[in-house]
Amino acid sequence: MTDPVVLSAVDVLVDLLQPGTLARILLDALSKSALYVVIASGLSLIFGLMGVLNFAHGSLTMIGAYLGGAVMVALVSSGTSGPVRFLLFFLAIAAAFGLLTLLGGAIEVALIRPIYDREPLFQILLTFGVVLVLDELARIAVELYGLQPQSEWQAAMGTAPGFLSNWYSVAGVSTRGLYLFEVLVGALVVVAIWAFLTKTRYGLYIRAGSEDPEMTRALGIDVRKAFTVVFGVGAGLAGLAGVVLMWDPRFGASVPLGVETLLVAFVVVIIGGLGSFRGTVVAAGVVGLTDALMTWLFQNHVDFPGLPEMAMFLVLVGVLIVRPQGLFGVAEVGGH
Amino acid sequence: MAISDPTEPADRSDASNAPDTTEAAEATEERDPANPTDAAVTDAADEPETESGAGYVRRLLGEQSVHVAVMLAFALYPIVYAILIRTPLGAEFDVFLPRIHTMVAVLYIGLFAMSFDFISGYTGYLSFGHSLFYGVGAYLVVLTATGKVPMLGTETPFMALLLIAGVLAVVIAVLVGLVSFRLTGVYFAMITLGFAEVAHVFIRNWDRVGSNPRDGATIAGGDGFALGVPGVDALQVEIGRIVGTSLGEVFGLGLGIEVDEVWVSFYAIGAVVAVCYFLMQRIVHSPFGRVMIAIRENEERARAVGYDVYRFKLAAFAVSGFFAAIAGGLFAGYSRSVAPGNTFDLFHTAEALLAAIIGGFGTLAGPLYGYLFTASVEGVLSTEHHGVARYLRRGLSDAMLSSGAGGVTVGDVIDVLVDGRADLYLGIVFILFVLYVPRGILGTLRDRLGGTVADRLPDRLRTTLRGLKR
Repeated sequence: MTDPVVLSAVDVLVDLLQPGTLARILLDALSKSALYVVIASGLSLIFGLMGVLNFAHGSLTMIGAYLGGAVMVALVSSGTSGPVRFLLFFLAIAAAFGLLTLLGGAIEVALIRPIYDREPLFQILLTFGVVLVLDELARIAVELYGLQPQSEWQAAMGTAPGFLSNWYSVAGVSTRGLYLFEVLVGALVVVAIWAFLTKTRYGLYIRAGSEDPEMTRALGIDVRKAFTVVFGVGAGLAGLAGVVLMWDPRFGASVPLGVETLLVAFVVVIIGGLGSFRGTVVAAGVVGLTDALMTWLFQNHVDFPGLPEMAMFLVLVGVLIVRPQGLFGVAEVGGH
Repeated sequence: MAISDPTEPADRSDASNAPDTTEAAEATEERDPANPTDAAVTDAADEPETESGAGYVRRLLGEQSVHVAVMLAFALYPIVYAILIRTPLGAEFDVFLPRIHTMVAVLYIGLFAMSFDFISGYTGYLSFGHSLFYGVGAYLVVLTATGKVPMLGTETPFMALLLIAGVLAVVIAVLVGLVSFRLTGVYFAMITLGFAEVAHVFIRNWDRVGSNPRDGATIAGGDGFALGVPGVDALQVEIGRIVGTSLGEVFGLGLGIEVDEVWVSFYAIGAVVAVCYFLMQRIVHSPFGRVMIAIRENEERARAVGYDVYRFKLAAFAVSGFFAAIAGGLFAGYSRSVAPGNTFDLFHTAEALLAAIIGGFGTLAGPLYGYLFTASVEGVLSTEHHGVARYLRRGLSDAMLSSGAGGVTVGDVIDVLVDGRADLYLGIVFILFVLYVPRGILGTLRDRLGGTVADRLPDRLRTTLRGLKR
């Protein structure tokens, strides 16, 4: 803030209520919310069933971004046509999801399972140690391939089909094809998880487990196995998010992507509330809208580049003050 | 600072009154070494009350022998280091022993880790935004020295600055705590992280800090900050790696050992950290500290017994914030520059967390040793010239370095797995500690000895020695 921006709220409001402005902000919010829901959903599933706030979630996203990038860079040549790249993208998603599901399952069995009987804080601490190791391993691997771990992997970003980097006009607002594509992916992920939760056996276990873990166990459900599966699927979803972010110039595959997405995922999941996937979706919307609004405010009125990010954490603090259990969480706080 | 709730009887620390059996065990375990009525330690308690001054000092030294030994070890370290470096094995010692500059960091980050443990380890509330207080202390010092804080001149004495930083942190801690202590567990960790991140984002973008706030701020030129006994000029020294006081060659042993700026800073900062440690140790062993442990062990019960746990948690958080800010101030005074990455960052809190887990969660001195370990590993695996990677490259012949199997040479292995890879190994060590040594180094020692190390170790040694004599 070079000069204290004393702006009249009326001015801002008048500016904001221009039809074009509003539409632009809403579209931006939609694409951001879609990304955030993709980033946070895996964390939400794990937290909901197991009460473990998986600190390694961001690192898994980062690994997913590199894995997806590796698949794309290996398979895409300059002659590959747009639609083929599109199909390969879904292949990359499948590969990253599969590999990270295995990795997540392995982490759960080898490291987290032995300490379920301890205080929940130890599980958080443990996943935090996993962050240190995974980040350093990623750095080693990336340096071995001659890539810069700090900045985005441009080659992977370049594999996006041309029509995604074009600009399109939607409802009078011009937007990048990529952002529309992210909305599509976000919607697909929400539908897929919703179907997983409501139509499959494990989804049933998760819903039962986050409702009443004691009773679920008493009914003879193998909770341990369910935990492994859910941790694996959560890690896989983190990897999927990474692949989606690999093409986005605002993110891109890099080692710091891990922390960046981890903080967003925390904010969304905590705002949404423990054990509620619906809460996570709504919270992603709230955070996306806040982000879009604040980005607009920063670009037009307030000279403070950190505004969107700061607003995000302020929303977190605000929600926790007003509704400690999150928007859709169960009222009992402190169970985890 | 209210040491105990005035409405409560003073002997709350008594194990028989403790609200929980687990807490009772803790209470006997952590018997206060400085309290002569505590018949735990030596026969010195039998001495008449009208003892001479010398007798008192002797008794105190006897009871505090472990503390004295540790402080002596720290105080002698620079000399031992300087001598060892000059021996024929100097190059090896240079690689494997932490340098004095590293030891200064051990002191102030160790203090930060202890303050983190004070709230997280003793009350069980994980303060995940603890870097907030450290950052406030560090930025206050640098911003004042560069004339950017209103009402505080650039000539404000450093000791006063440290206190102001501490008080500011207390205010922030109370404000944050008022909201945060309505939550528990993961939610408490997250809301404190939220507050710290707000400050982190703010400081990273606040252009009053400097032309590029992401790089932080530096104090250009000028004298070092003075630490010492207020009012006595002879007992003041200036700290700072380059600008601090240098005492030249003092020992006159012809060894060429020079007491340079880093040494002076080490002793001055060490003195402040020692004072802070003993203050925190007093609080932990007071009735107030007992309540903190009771909250960790069983908060419901502590409340049922009649403690206003909310206020106790708030006060503990404030004390912890106070010392974290002092640690940050010491860091800024020594390094004369701050950046968001080494103050407000989430990974700076992680540094304290790592130290606390390895050293011993819920043992006050543990985090200091934990960070000593972290810093040593980082020093050995450093990419700088004193790191083991450079040492190996220098020491091994070219033929050795280029030998290897399957296209992977020894040199490659050093580059990939040794050079600057401290985080990898520290992460593995951290995971192993969480899994297999959850009480940390000091906590495990405490379990083995059946009491605090300061209490039990001298007894243990004495019995062992007696056994040997027979």
